[in-house]
Amino acid sequence: MIDPVTLATPFFILAVILEIVLARLGKTRTHYEGKDTLVSLSLGLGSTLAGVLTASVIFAATLWVYQHRIFTIPMTAWWAWGAIFFLEDLTYYWFHRISHERRFWWAAHVNHHSSQHYNLSTALRQTWTGGLNGTWALWLPLAFLGFPPPMIAIEKSISLVYQFWIHTEAIRKLPAPVEAVFNTPSHHRVHHARNPRYLDSNYAGILIIWDRLFGTFVAEDEAEPPRYGIVKNLGDFNIVRAVFHEWASIGQDLWRSRSPREVVGYLFGPPGWSPDGSRQTSTQLKAAWARRRAGAAASPTQAPVSVGADRSETVPG
Amino acid sequence: MTPAFLLQTLASLVAILLLVALAAWARIARSAPALDEDTARVLIAEEFPDHAIGPVWVAADGGSAIARSEDEALIVYRAGDGYVARSLPWTRLAEGKAAGAEAALKLGDITAPRARFALGEGAVWPPQLAEAAGR
Repeated sequence: MIDPVTLATPFFILAVILEIVLARLGKTRTHYEGKDTLVSLSLGLGSTLAGVLTASVIFAATLWVYQHRIFTIPMTAWWAWGAIFFLEDLTYYWFHRISHERRFWWAAHVNHHSSQHYNLSTALRQTWTGGLNGTWALWLPLAFLGFPPPMIAIEKSISLVYQFWIHTEAIRKLPAPVEAVFNTPSHHRVHHARNPRYLDSNYAGILIIWDRLFGTFVAEDEAEPPRYGIVKNLGDFNIVRAVFHEWASIGQDLWRSRSPREVVGYLFGPPGWSPDGSRQTSTQLKAAWARRRAGAAASPTQAPVSVGADRSETVPG
Repeated sequence: MTPAFLLQTLASLVAILLLVALAAWARIARSAPALDEDTARVLIAEEFPDHAIGPVWVAADGGSAIARSEDEALIVYRAGDGYVARSLPWTRLAEGKAAGAEAALKLGDITAPRARFALGEGAVWPPQLAEAAGR
């Protein structure tokens, strides 16, 4: 079977080189930091190796479900590719949303967001533990419908390849019709931002229509450039910490939990949930931001400031 | 593991090293000038927007800073070309160990275990900052 990701790998490498060279020549405002790049690319390689360990289980499960399918959908039919394009992208949207909004799945996805940079190397900063937390099961209904497993795998890879090029600051906004329908660098910058107003938004894979449909779309505001990373950025460039820190935090919380409610909350509540409310979830952070904005609108004399003119798009990271 | 897989993995490792070397050579990290009191205050205000920020202490190398907000210590320190922010009870600063020109403070956080602060000549640890006004 032709794997689009394998085919695209030389393109990935060339694109990263191009982005670095353009930044070096001052043609884009992209930034790369050596240690950050090393972590991102190492997480990409590690993700591939980790994926090998779980691939057979996932493929076997998909095959088993396919054997109990309700329809038989031919791989050679054009309409089948059209249908799986939309259905896979819808599945991706919900996979991605649950991976942000529920801590058990966030623990596997957080490392994709832990860089304070947003460049093409960030796209390769992939999970090592995603195969273990079961989100792959979300694609099983496609096999149950009757889409052949290789077709599902190809469509997932096409989505992954598409999402590579949108991890860049080199492209600002695309023509309005494209921005209206497709996930673009602008939309995905918002998704990677830690500014409270941008949290938990733009979960799209290829089509941004799902976010518009389900109420999670937030447009990039030129007046508030995204600041990248996670709410509490990592304190160093330790790869083990980058991969496992949220799992370790969950373990710590479970060890200290005092009731089944706390166990469920720590595992399946939103990231930032705590029984005593001492931490903040994205919803709470956004509400606090909205209150501050309302307060600022009532007394509009405070001008926004930033640390140094050349850091205006990046502070604090 | 097939020889092809091993070869692919090895080639990937080489590609990673070359790309990281290229990124380092290009010197396109964000500029991260040393913090002074004003820039530290702005940074801390951005990280802790709901806190009233009182006096600010800046490390001798400008790589980290601490602000007092009532009984809390608001800490920022540089990691690469970005910054990391954490808050602690003010009294926890006393647990930091000062040795020579540096103080190290355990943050009790898996995601950021410790922060280091460069101490200037004659600097005392913990920083002596008066309590800030209320929130």
